[in-house]
Amino acid sequence: MTRKEDIATAELTATEKRVLLALGEEGGEWNQKTLSEKTGINEDAVMQTAFMLAEKGLCEIKEEKKEYYRLTEEGKEYAEKGLPEKRALDFLIERKEATVEKLKNAFQDEKEANIATTWLKKKNWAKIEEKKGRKVYILMGSVSYPDNIIPPDVHLGIDEVILNIVSKGEIERTILRNRVLKEISKVKLKIKVVPGEISGFVTLVGQRKLLTHRAHTERKITLTEAGHEVVSHGISIEEEIAQLTPELIRTGSWRERKFKRYDVNLPSKEAFAAKIHPYQRILDRMRRIFTEMGFTEIKGELVQSAFWNFDALFVPQDHPAREMQDTFYLGMRKRIEASKELIKNVKQMHEHGGSLNSTGWGGEWRSELGEELLLRTHTTAITLGYLASHQEPPVKVFCIDRVYRRETIDATHIPEFDQLEGIVMDKGVTFSNLLGLLATFYKKMGFPSIRFRPGYFPYTEPSVEVEVYMPERGWLELGGAGVFREEVTNPIGLKYPVLAWGLGIGRLAMLSLGLTDIRDLYHSDIDWLRKAQVFR
Amino acid sequence: MPTIRLFYEDLENLTGVSIEKIKERLPLMCADVERMEADYMDVEFFPNRPDLFCVEGASRALKQFLDVEPGLVTYVVEKSGIEMVVEASVLEVRPYIVCGVVKNLQLDSSSIESLMLLQEYLHRGIGRNREKVSVGVHDLARVKPPFRYLAADPGFSFIPLDYEEEMTMAEILERHPKGTAFRYILEDKTKYPLILDSEGKTLSFPPIINADQTRVTESTNDIFIEVTGLNENVSAALNIIVYALAERGGQIQSVVLRFPDDRRGAENETPRLEPKTMEISVKDVNSLIGIDLSAEECKKCCERMGLGAEAKPKGMIEVKIPAYRFDILHTWDIIEDIAIGYGYDRIEPEIPGTMVIGEVHPIEDTKRTVREIMTGLGYFEVLTFTLTSERKQFELMRRGRKQGKPFLDQTFSKGLSFDQTFSKFVVNVASPISSEHTMLRCSILPNLLEILSLNKHRDLPQRIFEVGPVLLGFKEEYRLAAVSTHANANFAEVKSMVDAVLKEMGMEDAEVVESEDDAFLAGRRADIIKPLQFFRGGRGSAPTMDGKHIGVFGELHPEVILNFGLDHPVVGFEVDI
Repeated sequence: MTRKEDIATAELTATEKRVLLALGEEGGEWNQKTLSEKTGINEDAVMQTAFMLAEKGLCEIKEEKKEYYRLTEEGKEYAEKGLPEKRALDFLIERKEATVEKLKNAFQDEKEANIATTWLKKKNWAKIEEKKGRKVYILMGSVSYPDNIIPPDVHLGIDEVILNIVSKGEIERTILRNRVLKEISKVKLKIKVVPGEISGFVTLVGQRKLLTHRAHTERKITLTEAGHEVVSHGISIEEEIAQLTPELIRTGSWRERKFKRYDVNLPSKEAFAAKIHPYQRILDRMRRIFTEMGFTEIKGELVQSAFWNFDALFVPQDHPAREMQDTFYLGMRKRIEASKELIKNVKQMHEHGGSLNSTGWGGEWRSELGEELLLRTHTTAITLGYLASHQEPPVKVFCIDRVYRRETIDATHIPEFDQLEGIVMDKGVTFSNLLGLLATFYKKMGFPSIRFRPGYFPYTEPSVEVEVYMPERGWLELGGAGVFREEVTNPIGLKYPVLAWGLGIGRLAMLSLGLTDIRDLYHSDIDWLRKAQVFR
Repeated sequence: MPTIRLFYEDLENLTGVSIEKIKERLPLMCADVERMEADYMDVEFFPNRPDLFCVEGASRALKQFLDVEPGLVTYVVEKSGIEMVVEASVLEVRPYIVCGVVKNLQLDSSSIESLMLLQEYLHRGIGRNREKVSVGVHDLARVKPPFRYLAADPGFSFIPLDYEEEMTMAEILERHPKGTAFRYILEDKTKYPLILDSEGKTLSFPPIINADQTRVTESTNDIFIEVTGLNENVSAALNIIVYALAERGGQIQSVVLRFPDDRRGAENETPRLEPKTMEISVKDVNSLIGIDLSAEECKKCCERMGLGAEAKPKGMIEVKIPAYRFDILHTWDIIEDIAIGYGYDRIEPEIPGTMVIGEVHPIEDTKRTVREIMTGLGYFEVLTFTLTSERKQFELMRRGRKQGKPFLDQTFSKGLSFDQTFSKFVVNVASPISSEHTMLRCSILPNLLEILSLNKHRDLPQRIFEVGPVLLGFKEEYRLAAVSTHANANFAEVKSMVDAVLKEMGMEDAEVVESEDDAFLAGRRADIIKPLQFFRGGRGSAPTMDGKHIGVFGELHPEVILNFGLDHPVVGFEVDI
């Protein structure tokens, strides 16, 4: 054996060797089926192995398209009863002639009778003539033999021959052709048939919907020169181990055995790590950043009074955001959870600015509007409530939670979403400190480029909007912030400035998760979850 | 917030500043630039600055902001000699009115459109959809003063704007598009507001519609403006409009208002354009913003925002606020203006020195642990809405919702089985956005089944969980719920999951008893009970209980599976954490 062949056989798997041996046997015509029968390996695996061998240049696979024929239901019926026109011919031979009605009546239905008469004429076996005012069929010359007697086996048409052959089972086209020729040579057919004409007949029978066919690609497998050489040098088959077993390990027999090699590049079945929702990971990241910055997380009730959600924040009672079409009210009122003094302070602040140098909103402030229960529209209701009970500086808290706005659902609007809210209350904190905190947060979130623009919120002054720069989308507005107005802090008794911000998280999440429809965060497609990468 | 379309050519003509500079600085004023096109931009000005809701006002502010013409803008108000007599009848219906006249205007189609849009924005904003404030502008040449403001019978008729035939006020409310849109404002009134001239010709039917005959056209030179409403903001609207028209070269004139009694002074003259004054200290400015400005610099910043400013002794500044500004309630509003005038881009962000120790909320810690356990068990986390419907929460789940007033106090939950608690504490929203979002969820399992139904075409097995709030009464309770679906899902699988979760959560002492929850298949369902050591029996509840029902698990009932459009076995559990 040459060195090259040595390598070739060494690299062959046991299966490959078995297939190679089978291919080397004389006289065989090898395809998927015959090879499988010969080797005892299932058809799919045999074919796969053949492809591997072909890749190694040891065998050659030729594809051949073949057509297989079988009878239709109609074809089966005629194969049994004879073609309708043949039956009509027999009828005429027996009677010499017959009126149109009589001939037609000999068939079980109109359709069959029509087929019979059409093909009688087409095949030039009979024609219609007027006799004594009646239309009659008479036989044509081509079938008029001496004594008008035709032996039944003689005038079998080629189409009938085809029907007979196919009626024995599905048959391949070339085989069918050869059989037809053989049959024809057996009978003394008066018509001379050129072998090439057989195809035309097959098509004809097919057109009459008596035959149907299917195409099938057959692969013919033969050894190449190199393959022959390998086989001629002899191949010994040793069974390879597919799976290492406890048995093999314990007995030590693994030492003598050969392991089947894996193709390390073949794709494997996909497996997915169960994971935390990608959006939750963003929320957790924000939570971590704020705790790293020294903030304490707070929580609060989802159902709030309008007093804490709006009035205490100096949102005027006729503000559009308070209307039914923007806020989810529960249609219930409850005594305001605040001291009488606080309620009085808020009332005075709204009406005339309380004890501050402020004009307030004017008009009458009505406590019953403050008693209305609602689903919180922002978490500021929570942070403010916390400040009311924690008046000593410093306070640094944040809140990440669900808020509700009465929005009709579409790709960019949903009626409930998460908000991140934070406040710092301390002696001497300033608006520039607020900007410093926001800049730090966004930098930690992965947005190094941010800018501040004036903003407007009813309860902060000065107010600011934060925009981050996205290379492909320009400046995007991601949050609002400001210093709580004195009209907000004074009634609850605070003495120092409060820096506050509220950031919509949904938009940020969509950007970083590459979503274009915010609903996808809440109507999870399980495949999206499966494929979402933890590491990004 | 209204979006104003500003054409570059207009802006450059009115301000004398290059459009590049305007594009760069405008976002740092009081505006969100919504979009920039080749020859115009759409700008959203803040809702507290209605004085910017027209190209005239925006240009004025830009000229000040960009140092072209900084400082207070004032206009002389002459007397027009026109009177408006307010009759007692209207004081019960729409008590506030102010009027003004602007003469010698040269209007074209675009300045008329700008005026109409400004009027609409004022109606929507400070007018609260015309209820609180509504504006009418009229061609003064078509009517004869003095005017009368009164309340008239609904049967009074005139030709309303854009119509050719007379209609009664009742018919206008019935048929005219403005009438149907705003009739709710007059719903409980028997008489309607009306403004007539000395010959009985109609000017307007506030807050609904003007008369057609006083329509302002390109040939109008003198405009009469009336603003009616329910509060002092009528002056804001009037001042903003006369300022805008004065920017176009008009001459502002006053109107004398005569009232029937002393309730609001017998006589008044409007518009009143004298600036208000406020004093601020430079120290307050610097300590709030965190910068270090001199009095002179503060003054400059004020002027950039159109405020007048004058340095006073002891570090004080007297600020003059133009009559079109109604957003300044407090000295901090001026300080914000100074910060904007200084430039937000020039304020140095600085981390505060406040030192405290941060901490995650304990419930979030628990939720994080739960996520760790569940992903370890091979479950994917999902997040769903808390707004849902009775149909999903109860009907599809085969769980009963008892009619009657819900318990809003959770102490009633003692003695109720786990699923019974759901039905007792439903919180509905009063005006849901759809029949799918009528209540807040009291169970998470239905949400998970909904997610499964959305993923029917995806490979099995599917295992998902959610940890989050449910609402029982007004109280939130945090729950973990999970489902698993595949051809062989069964009670044994969910039981071993529940056991694992309880063990990891340190709740091994929880007991499991047969459940009656109809969401699950009988004989394949169980309640989880947490023993209560000091249980003494709640008020009005069965004292036989010796623990609190904290969860349920089992094989979902085939009807429930079908209700959610599924066809494979589903097992699941829900437990209070």
